[in-house]
Amino acid sequence: MATPGVLIVETQGATDRTPLAAAPRRGVLRALLRRPAAALSLGCILVLVLMAVFAPVLSSLGGWSPYAFDPKAIDADLGGVPLGPLGGAGARHWFGVEPQSGRDIFARIVTGARVSITIAVLATALTTAIGVLMGMVAGYLGGVADQVISRLMDFLMAFPALIFMIALLSALPAGQRQYLLVVVLTFFGWPYTARIVRGQTLALKARDFVEAARSSGASDGAVVLREILPNLRGTILVLSTMSVPGFIGTEAGLSFLGIGVVPPTPSWGQMIAASVSWYTVDPWYFVIPGLFLFVTVLSFTVLGDHLKSVLDPGGNPS
Amino acid sequence: MIPYLLRRSGASVLVLFGITLLTFVVFFALSPDPAVTICGKTCTPDRIETIRGVLGLDQPFLTQYGHFLQGLFVGRRYGVGENAVQCAAPCLGFSFQTNQPVLQMIAARLPQTVTVAVGAAVLWLLVGVSGGLLGAIKRGTVWDKGAMLTALGGISLPNYFLALLLQYVLVVRLQVLPFPDSSIGLTQDPVGWFESYLMPWIVLAFGYASLYLRLTRDTVLDTLSENYVRTGRAKGLPRGLLLRRYALRPSMAPVVTLFGMDFAGLLAGALIAETVFGINGVGKLAADSIATNDQPVIMAVTLLAALLVVVGNMVVDVVYTLLDPRVRISQ
Amino acid sequence: MTAPTTRPGSGTAGVPLLEVRDLQVGVPGRDGPLALVHGLSFAVDAGRTLGIVGESGSGKSMTSLAIMGLLPPGATASGSVRLRTQRHPEGEELLSAGAGRLRGLRGDRMAMIFQDPLSCLNPYYRVGVQVAEAHRVHRGSSRRQARALAVDVLGRVGIPRPHQRVDDYPYQFSGGMRQRIMIAMSLVCEPDLLIADEPTTALDVTVQAQILALLSDLQREFGTGMIYITHDLAVVSQVAEDILVLREGRPVEHGPAEQIFSDPQQDYTRELLDAVPRIDDPVPAPHLQGGTTPLRPPGTSWGGGTP
Repeated sequence: MATPGVLIVETQGATDRTPLAAAPRRGVLRALLRRPAAALSLGCILVLVLMAVFAPVLSSLGGWSPYAFDPKAIDADLGGVPLGPLGGAGARHWFGVEPQSGRDIFARIVTGARVSITIAVLATALTTAIGVLMGMVAGYLGGVADQVISRLMDFLMAFPALIFMIALLSALPAGQRQYLLVVVLTFFGWPYTARIVRGQTLALKARDFVEAARSSGASDGAVVLREILPNLRGTILVLSTMSVPGFIGTEAGLSFLGIGVVPPTPSWGQMIAASVSWYTVDPWYFVIPGLFLFVTVLSFTVLGDHLKSVLDPGGNPS
Repeated sequence: MIPYLLRRSGASVLVLFGITLLTFVVFFALSPDPAVTICGKTCTPDRIETIRGVLGLDQPFLTQYGHFLQGLFVGRRYGVGENAVQCAAPCLGFSFQTNQPVLQMIAARLPQTVTVAVGAAVLWLLVGVSGGLLGAIKRGTVWDKGAMLTALGGISLPNYFLALLLQYVLVVRLQVLPFPDSSIGLTQDPVGWFESYLMPWIVLAFGYASLYLRLTRDTVLDTLSENYVRTGRAKGLPRGLLLRRYALRPSMAPVVTLFGMDFAGLLAGALIAETVFGINGVGKLAADSIATNDQPVIMAVTLLAALLVVVGNMVVDVVYTLLDPRVRISQ
Repeated sequence: MTAPTTRPGSGTAGVPLLEVRDLQVGVPGRDGPLALVHGLSFAVDAGRTLGIVGESGSGKSMTSLAIMGLLPPGATASGSVRLRTQRHPEGEELLSAGAGRLRGLRGDRMAMIFQDPLSCLNPYYRVGVQVAEAHRVHRGSSRRQARALAVDVLGRVGIPRPHQRVDDYPYQFSGGMRQRIMIAMSLVCEPDLLIADEPTTALDVTVQAQILALLSDLQREFGTGMIYITHDLAVVSQVAEDILVLREGRPVEHGPAEQIFSDPQQDYTRELLDAVPRIDDPVPAPHLQGGTTPLRPPGTSWGGGTP
């Protein structure tokens, strides 16, 4: 599953090299748009985000709520198979319907987008905030603070995260599951960000301009906020972009296993789980959410790759 | 080296304790009363009390944890008197669903999971590392670009999606493979065995191979810019020797590190592969137990996973000292 | 620029070991190929040393890489580089030789040592293995023979207790020792030609002297022809019989060392000489005209950075 493993690997190089350049925002965007693959990914992400934001609007455009049942679209005699080819896709239901329940897949896809992306973005924001904070503190202060935080990071990273998440989530009641997911994902996710940030902070600490600031009497806090943090911008940008697909994948995986987002709230992973019993007769039920998951994760990953090479041209070209 | 390893194992044992304690806390604090679950539909308050007594659920938290640890190391007894049940070490309890000893349940299913995991690991290491190496030395060529694109797809594709896709295309439509049947032993029917495990291996390996391909390629490219590679070329060394000693060997460190981490994650990956393909392994057991909230089994699986993490880290440490002479001497 | 000066005495009687004629080296640039070396011609004899002197960016390293066939991908070399080999006693053309042939010659008939010995040695393999590697590849010696050879060679270059140290790793040696190991490595097949690219620049002065002495001794013993590349005129005066001064990829002056030092014909050479600090010099060191060579667009001569 595309969880921490991806994060670790893809940002591994960053710890060993000098910090990524803190390029001005406009320059980065333009550089990205010049590369066709990056521009395409940005486009896809934009579409997905719009889809997520306007999910209710889009559902009503399609004419169905994600929770409404449509018994007319399925063939009750055949056990609930959708009527018509392509899983029942047509003018009435743009992406077809779910077997047995007859719920509109389009509405569930766009709502699922909203659910998954919200969770992933929230988790990314929290992980980045906590990770950057802890990483900077550990890297800059060193000593006891560093020891404590590093041990904590080691411990959390040693955890069999997925299994524990499964254990944890299965033990908890089903209410407020989405917030719970964000918490759990953040709890296990921040060490990866923190470790990278810590490495970068250590490297930055040794640089001349930090020395200059300290010897001119600036307080620790001021140095960290004004000298170190701005130079971490590139790293933070790449880390957050690369975190999103990991969280989307993990949430989808957890939902697939039945402990993520609980029905009736739709989630792409959950839809694929439900499709397992039907895939022989209605493959579209798993293909559609699967493709959406694939394209989403792919777009973020490609964007992250290009961001990395734009911000750190000294690295290896893809 | 030995004292170093001992120190590291000491730390690992602490980590193990920490993980089991936390897992125990989770179940203790959060889950509904297991006695009720076990008791089932035809329940009376008396029966619930009895069950709680037998399982020791009426005792304080630390005592319960103590019993659990005791069971792991020396064995424990459930209940008192003539109806007491002895559970030998390492005692993982009894399933709430089936009342079977959890240890046996896991042991019975372990071979299948090991088959899935090891087969996939071999596959992804071979494909990923050699693919990455080839991509690095043939940088920019069609081969390299193709491999990188495939790898990109590989890390973006959810493995359960790939599993369904493969099963649909290969088994249902094209009918080139049968539905996987994990009860086939290797010695009974090698072909059938291979056919059953082929799809789980591919599904599990595809994502990892992509990851390893990208990592190897990046690392080898870095290595190739090192000065000692130029020295090797200046000595007129043949291609194969150069690749082995000057490109591959120095690039192994990150791959080994990653494998150590992935070793632990194998159980999680196997879980998904087994669930989709119906392989009767530990992963599927875990998935089923989640659905029925069978606590002892979930606890045991978590413990197993934690053990794998610790073992994985230790193996990485050992391999590291073997790999890099600079590390070896400084221990 | 005034025409380069080549004097009598810089050629040889008989067939020289290495003969370079009109060597041009270029690398791909944004608007077409960038010329780094413009028409170099020189010769090296067996048992003698040619010193190639120049600042950073003068093209001296590129020249040596072109001779060895180690140019980076995309770089092109033209002209003639002939090496006297057993197969071609009248001189084998290296620039048009196949990759396999070049690989066979490298490490065996022609060898090269580089500037920073730590980064030039593979940290993952024992020193003995690396020293004998070329011999095992080119002469097919067995593991035991190769090890014995490594011990012998390490002793010859002055590594104490070679029987023990042969199994050590590069990081266990000091800088000077490592350069000795590099030298041992390059001489293990007794090559006819040795190219030393700034071998002592990364070392301190006392060690430098030892390494230079070692090189001279070994050259005398094996009869190797050597090209010694450096920016340091003081160093080259101790090693080379002939000197070639390069500037921005072009030859400036070429001749026997004593003549160059006693009677430099070109201004640039004179400036280089003046820049060498002397113990009895009351006047502070002057600035060289031009200083670091700036990068200029193609069409004019190239400059800037180390080649």
